Amino acid sequence: MEAKARVVDALDIETFLICENEEEGRRVSAGLMESMGLSDFDLVYIHHEGIGARVRIRAYINRPGDRYTWLEGGEIND
Amino acid sequence: MTKKRVLLSPLDPVHDIGLKMIKNALDEAGHDTYLLPPDVTPGEIVEEALEKEAEVILLSRTLGYGVAELLGRFVDLVEGAGIRHRVKIGIGGMAIKPAIAAELGFDQGFGPKTPVEEAVAFVEGKTYTPPREGSAKRKGDLVRERTYEYHHQEIKSLLEEISEKTLQWYEKIQSPGIKRAELREKGLAGEKEYLEISDDSIKDFFSDGILPSGLRLIDGEEQKALESIISAGRVDNPRILQRQPHQPLVFIQYGTGCPFMDIAHVKGTEGWGADGVVHFDPSWGAKTEGLLSGLLSHEENGSVITDENLKLIKKALESSTLWQVRAHRGLNTPETVLLAGEAGAELTKINPVYGSLGGGTDPERLLADSIKAMEYAARYKMPFDMPTNEELCGVPAYKAFAGMLIVTQLGLALGAQPVLQPLFCYSPEMMLGGQMEDNYIDYNAAKVMALRGIIDAPIWAGAPIGFLTHTEERVQSSVSTSFHAGMAASLEIEGISIASADEAYSGGPITLPARIDTLQGTGEAFRFLGSARMQPTPKAEEWAEELTENILKVLKEVVKNGSFLDSLYQGILGSQKEGAYPGRNGRGTVLKRK
Repeated sequence: MEAKARVVDALDIETFLICENEEEGRRVSAGLMESMGLSDFDLVYIHHEGIGARVRIRAYINRPGDRYTWLEGGEIND
Repeated sequence: MTKKRVLLSPLDPVHDIGLKMIKNALDEAGHDTYLLPPDVTPGEIVEEALEKEAEVILLSRTLGYGVAELLGRFVDLVEGAGIRHRVKIGIGGMAIKPAIAAELGFDQGFGPKTPVEEAVAFVEGKTYTPPREGSAKRKGDLVRERTYEYHHQEIKSLLEEISEKTLQWYEKIQSPGIKRAELREKGLAGEKEYLEISDDSIKDFFSDGILPSGLRLIDGEEQKALESIISAGRVDNPRILQRQPHQPLVFIQYGTGCPFMDIAHVKGTEGWGADGVVHFDPSWGAKTEGLLSGLLSHEENGSVITDENLKLIKKALESSTLWQVRAHRGLNTPETVLLAGEAGAELTKINPVYGSLGGGTDPERLLADSIKAMEYAARYKMPFDMPTNEELCGVPAYKAFAGMLIVTQLGLALGAQPVLQPLFCYSPEMMLGGQMEDNYIDYNAAKVMALRGIIDAPIWAGAPIGFLTHTEERVQSSVSTSFHAGMAASLEIEGISIASADEAYSGGPITLPARIDTLQGTGEAFRFLGSARMQPTPKAEEWAEELTENILKVLKEVVKNGSFLDSLYQGILGSQKEGAYPGRNGRGTVLKRK
């Protein structure tokens, strides 16, 4: 099983993105998550100040009501 | 015990406090210790070890730069001196990872926050067993210290008059909610008579197995997998957040929609110090006549109340965890309290004032059902809190408190144990009135001071504390909760419900890490304050007096009206202008008892 299967619900990525404004920060956030193969994501927080934006981007791995990957058990792939 | 000669030395330009603490503990245990000054070279340490005939060398290293090379060189020097076979070497400090220490040839590496006792055990050649904090954590009790004696006699007599009349009214009425609870007591839930007074969605489920949309039955395989995780994942060592006896019990609220995800959140938060957990049900459940059955998962917020869901969650809880099932705002209030009592909940939530003025249920129906629910709460010895969330609709605190105090007296008259629940919040009243322009302490403190001046009852602030002060930013949100927790500790109240760091985020489900963030923050607030207190300004006392006077005025108006129920419709306890609207769910369903 993939390591992300052990994530109980969501994966938050917090960072600072160099961007001109909040709008660009949103586009960069989306691009970042897609480049990591995390398609079910949402921007929890964004605030642009100065040279970029402080962001918190969330990818849901297991949403309530899903069949949870962490219930399946098994070893993590190397 | 064999006395050991122990050489202690920091491998840094400054002393590590940890090393000094270990030295003190070793001295106390009767060992001979030699603590070298800082900034000594590895060669000098080895020379000292030879001279003192040290049997154990304990080193510390705080700085991370070049640590591997330095430690490797030290081990080489000890070997070169020909004493490695008779000297045990341990290394600890902020820069030390136990695995790297072992790789470099140390007998033991101690990471950050290693207890002193572990280092002493290493010197003495004993196996260190960490204390089982979990076994020390006891289930909290919100009501134990309170007498329920009134300090304000005029308010007491008004409340007794209102309560007496309300209970006389209750004697003569019946409702579908009361009836269903009585049928459930007889084991007839889901049977013909029960379904006759239930909504179609409930009938469809019991007759044809059709589930409302967004719900699914959890299969046996999933249940088996969860049970194996639960049994393997008992929380042996839950944190204890409180540092002083006066610091409040801390509750988190769960209700992801799915009992399995709820259990994951509950187990996670128990480990991080939650003293209690509160079950949130979906809002549609409060508007539906009748309850479903089975292990059910729900795609949206709120976990469905069924006998099976509740019992599964109870099974997963640690013995030290308090459990509350809310029943305060809907058409299944008595049945929910009954189910909660049967499932082993310690606490419930009942408040017909908020539930009917801000929760959407008809006042007459909810008042009748709530009284029945209080009877069950008394029977199962479940204290119930009374949330005053109508404040969030715009109702002034004094009106919400007048309503809460009436429910308190009703509960006392029925032999139950009510728990006052003022909101610690930045309410619309505060936004318009400006009472919180300077600080968030004074008005919240005034609320507690006013209530304490009226009755000696337990106070559990909610829900959650700091309502409307949180933003989507994780640190701001956690800090705001932490400060409110510190204020609660300063006011010596019995309990608090805390939000997660996702409180202001509405784009998706709350996550477990977001719950842990605020538990961490709350623990830090308690640690920071200890026996010290946050100090309100004199304004708090002034506002407390004003609140008490206004509560008294409202209660007089209710008495003048002659009916608590009619006062709810008439806006005496919160008017439409203020933002309180008598609910319509269940209107016209209360009948005279035959």
